[in-house]
Amino acid sequence: MIQRTPVANAVTYAIMVFGFILLIGPFLVIIAGASQTMQQVNAIPFSFLPDNQFLTNAAQAWKRADLGTAMTNSLIMAVLVTAGKVALSAFTAFAIVFFRSPLKHVFFWSVFITLMLPLEVRVVPTYAVAADLLQPVKSILSLFGGIQIGIDWNLLNSYTGLTLPLIATATGTFLYRQFFMTLPDELAEAARMDGSGPVRFFFDMLLPLSRTNMLALTTIMFVYGWNQYLWPLLMVTDPSYKTVMMSLRSLLPADNGTPDWNVTLAGSLLIMLPPLIVVGVLQRWFVRGLVATEK
Amino acid sequence: MEKRAVFKSWWLPIVFALPQLLLILCFFYWPVAAVVNWAFTLEPPFGGPAEFVGFANFQEAFADPFYWNSVVVSLIFAIVGPLFAISIGLVLAIAVDRQLPGSGFFRFLYILPYAIAGPAAGMAFRFILSPERGLAASLNAMWPDIWNPAKYGEHALALVIIIFIWKWSGYTFIFLLAGLQSVPRALGEAAAMDGAGPFRRAIDVQVPLLAPTLFFLLVTMMTEGFVGADTFGIVHAVTEGGPNHGTEVMVYRIVDEAFKGLNYSGASAQSIILIGLIMIFTFIQFRFVEKRVHYK
Amino acid sequence: MKLFVLKTALAGLMAATTLGVAPAFAEKTKFEFWYGLSGDLGDRVQDACKKFNDSQSDFEILCTSQNGYDTTLQNTIAAYRAKKQPAITQIYDAGTLDLMLSKAFIPAKQLMADNGYKIDWNNYFGGIANYYATAAGELQSFPFNSSTAMFYYNVSAFEKAGIDFKPDTWEHVEEAARKLKAAGFECPLGFNFDTWPLLEQFSAIHNQPLATKANGYEGLDTEVVFNKTKFVDHVKFFKKMQDEKLFVVKTKQLGMDIVPAFTSQTCQMIQTSVADHGTVGKTLPEGVKWDVAMLPVWKGTERKNSLVGGASLWVMAGRPAAEYKGAAAFLNFLAQPDMVQWWSTVTGYIPVTKTGFDAMKANGFYDKAPYKGRELAIASLTYTPTSENTRGIRLGSFTQIRKEVSTSLEAIFMQNADVQKELDQAAERSNAILRRFEKTYAGQKLN
Repeated sequence: MIQRTPVANAVTYAIMVFGFILLIGPFLVIIAGASQTMQQVNAIPFSFLPDNQFLTNAAQAWKRADLGTAMTNSLIMAVLVTAGKVALSAFTAFAIVFFRSPLKHVFFWSVFITLMLPLEVRVVPTYAVAADLLQPVKSILSLFGGIQIGIDWNLLNSYTGLTLPLIATATGTFLYRQFFMTLPDELAEAARMDGSGPVRFFFDMLLPLSRTNMLALTTIMFVYGWNQYLWPLLMVTDPSYKTVMMSLRSLLPADNGTPDWNVTLAGSLLIMLPPLIVVGVLQRWFVRGLVATEK
Repeated sequence: MEKRAVFKSWWLPIVFALPQLLLILCFFYWPVAAVVNWAFTLEPPFGGPAEFVGFANFQEAFADPFYWNSVVVSLIFAIVGPLFAISIGLVLAIAVDRQLPGSGFFRFLYILPYAIAGPAAGMAFRFILSPERGLAASLNAMWPDIWNPAKYGEHALALVIIIFIWKWSGYTFIFLLAGLQSVPRALGEAAAMDGAGPFRRAIDVQVPLLAPTLFFLLVTMMTEGFVGADTFGIVHAVTEGGPNHGTEVMVYRIVDEAFKGLNYSGASAQSIILIGLIMIFTFIQFRFVEKRVHYK
Repeated sequence: MKLFVLKTALAGLMAATTLGVAPAFAEKTKFEFWYGLSGDLGDRVQDACKKFNDSQSDFEILCTSQNGYDTTLQNTIAAYRAKKQPAITQIYDAGTLDLMLSKAFIPAKQLMADNGYKIDWNNYFGGIANYYATAAGELQSFPFNSSTAMFYYNVSAFEKAGIDFKPDTWEHVEEAARKLKAAGFECPLGFNFDTWPLLEQFSAIHNQPLATKANGYEGLDTEVVFNKTKFVDHVKFFKKMQDEKLFVVKTKQLGMDIVPAFTSQTCQMIQTSVADHGTVGKTLPEGVKWDVAMLPVWKGTERKNSLVGGASLWVMAGRPAAEYKGAAAFLNFLAQPDMVQWWSTVTGYIPVTKTGFDAMKANGFYDKAPYKGRELAIASLTYTPTSENTRGIRLGSFTQIRKEVSTSLEAIFMQNADVQKELDQAAERSNAILRRFEKTYAGQKLN
């Protein structure tokens, strides 16, 4: 800074501390509450000092909401969504950017439009499709010539069902597309001169170059997958497939009136931890992914 | 778009794009088509033949005061939430951008709320802002019922919007900080030479340069507030649309109508209306995104 | 076309893998049962399942809680559409007509006949069976957890306040509330927006219709009329009592629902299901005297029988025949007198068969302390033979109608909305729901 601006600096710090209280304060309340006894957590005024009950509370929450199963499922779901997204988006972006093909625009637009309609607005029929994946095919077939097929391919209560509809959006594709567009033309030219085909170019050149992008996409998709709420809520009826977001409800203090919010908070904290770690530890890539996908 | 396209093959791009296109076809376009189909029929809950009813489902929605209530609630949500989230993000970004010692630490922390899913945040805020404990309890002791989201729709709406703001302020912060850092430092320094203080500089030089980012954020945040996953998640986990429809945003109403009310058709009609509204949002956004591309 | 080939191939692959994962050979026929009860009552259902599995070696029932009646209906429908429905599902009273018109189930009578069980269908209490039977009297589902609403009151508090009469009429309830308030009790009577006791049971015992066409039994073209009956005055009475702080709203959202409010002695009177009898007895501290009574009536009313609540078990269509053998065996098992008695004892639900009730009465079950009072539920249910207004409620999308009414009650009691105006609005909206239901099932007849 060129100027000496003590007042402005003080104000700046005040603002930053205020932001800290606003944005991080809730975490401190959660941490404090999660480590207190039931009496402490319900005390007025609330004490912001953590106590030593966290493990007890967490163990109780773990049992109450069956977090073992839920965490495993959420992890599987988040990993599958991430892997699917990272891989498929790269393929599509490659097809869109590096080929002179009349279908290029069709690809681009059909992918782009998916940005507009989040799952929430088309959830009802998406559910119907997941219930019978061949339904579209069946309808088309019966429309032309009345052929009926008897196979049902059902995705409810399965990892495929949990993940596939979430992979079906455009987010990642645009991240890759933007990156591919920044690459110098000579790169692909050189590859072509070498006589190595597009497939080799993609796997040997493009993918290694995209490593940072992949990492960025991985972080945001993991958080996205882990935090899914509505979709698992609707399509999972078998408790062995339930995810962490579905367990939130069972973490609430039971109806019989014992306000053991300390257990609820401890459970919530466990559920919040994995995405927090990803965002915290891999923040550089996370931020990069966010800004680059612009969504 | 017209950049390279070096390889010439008609089938390779198809093979590469196929997996994603298939998924999108199955889980995006087909459902959207089904929504249209259901919106004009009366789909029985257990399946079976459905009667074509024309625009009856739409008329029903438009004639329903609670439908309009949900439109109003959604609009309030989608305007108030983003405005606060962006303002907070902007103030914090300007502060952090001054790069005083220690600001890196704050920058690291501010993004953290964004990692939390709306429903999980909602669960915690149900505790933090519950009327019978903490700060709210003291307030209620002084002025009975000054804060009671279980009883008053306005309080409940404020509660869910606060959660939204909490989660998204870090997100707007990231974008605005990135925007600020791309502003050439020389500009600020020139202004400083002219004797402008840090506040003046922020308002006169930095904010105008951030206009594109701000506009972009406004559009995305409004879309997010309108139909985003968190909007639904927060409302569902915290208030379930209540009390007395006070927090019933459009997306919540659709899901509730379909899966609780077993009125798939009515919900589909409402989805179509919502899709129309998002198209308008997106149109604005797209015009803008196009411009941004030129910027670079 | 290429697209199609690929998808079929993929489908085949998937089908193959799923098959591979499933156990290739199972000696027992397994079948699923979904239920909506949760918490303590849910654990009792699990106990019942275990008892069944231990009792024989041909079948294995897999019982899954869907955590709530409404989600069970929701998930059953979803699963049926996906052809993954359970063999048996527990559907609450309000979902009865939705199921009946669905054609997605196997009628109770047919199931038992097909699998060679002889059931004395007349053994079910009329008030219970009628709710789940066609207008002609054919039972479609199996009454399982049946209850009715009761009036719970804290006798110790009554004594302290010097109340020497029973809360048998609403006039008495009001008087008791005033005395309790005078004696320093903050919440003489706690209530929530559950329409079941407030609207449905009230209407039945006061012989008021809820809807035309015999509460819907005689046709899908029924219309609700609750905004024109004594119910309106009853709500106004509640509102007046609330304004005088004699009746207090207690909901989960406000921090405590009515049953915990009663067991924590916050509130001294509540109306709730007899199913809570067990919980209340277990939770109230030792030494606190409490009792149940039939729901109060307004003075001068000729009391009618109350309605059955709870849920029944539906056997879903489209499962392999072997599973139906198991389902029938399970349902038969539940109907055995010792199971009926066990189930009634560990929950508060009433025995659904006359023989079951008689056996329990003969055992002296109802004379002993923790269970004393539960016989009043049967007394209430069988107070008079069922009539048009007390047979049950046969309305489509009844879940939604309940929601409309309870939302209007929320507006009345929380936001001081006008009683008549709110109820008129709820009625209008309910009728719109009924018309849509009628149109959805156009051409179908109630039989």
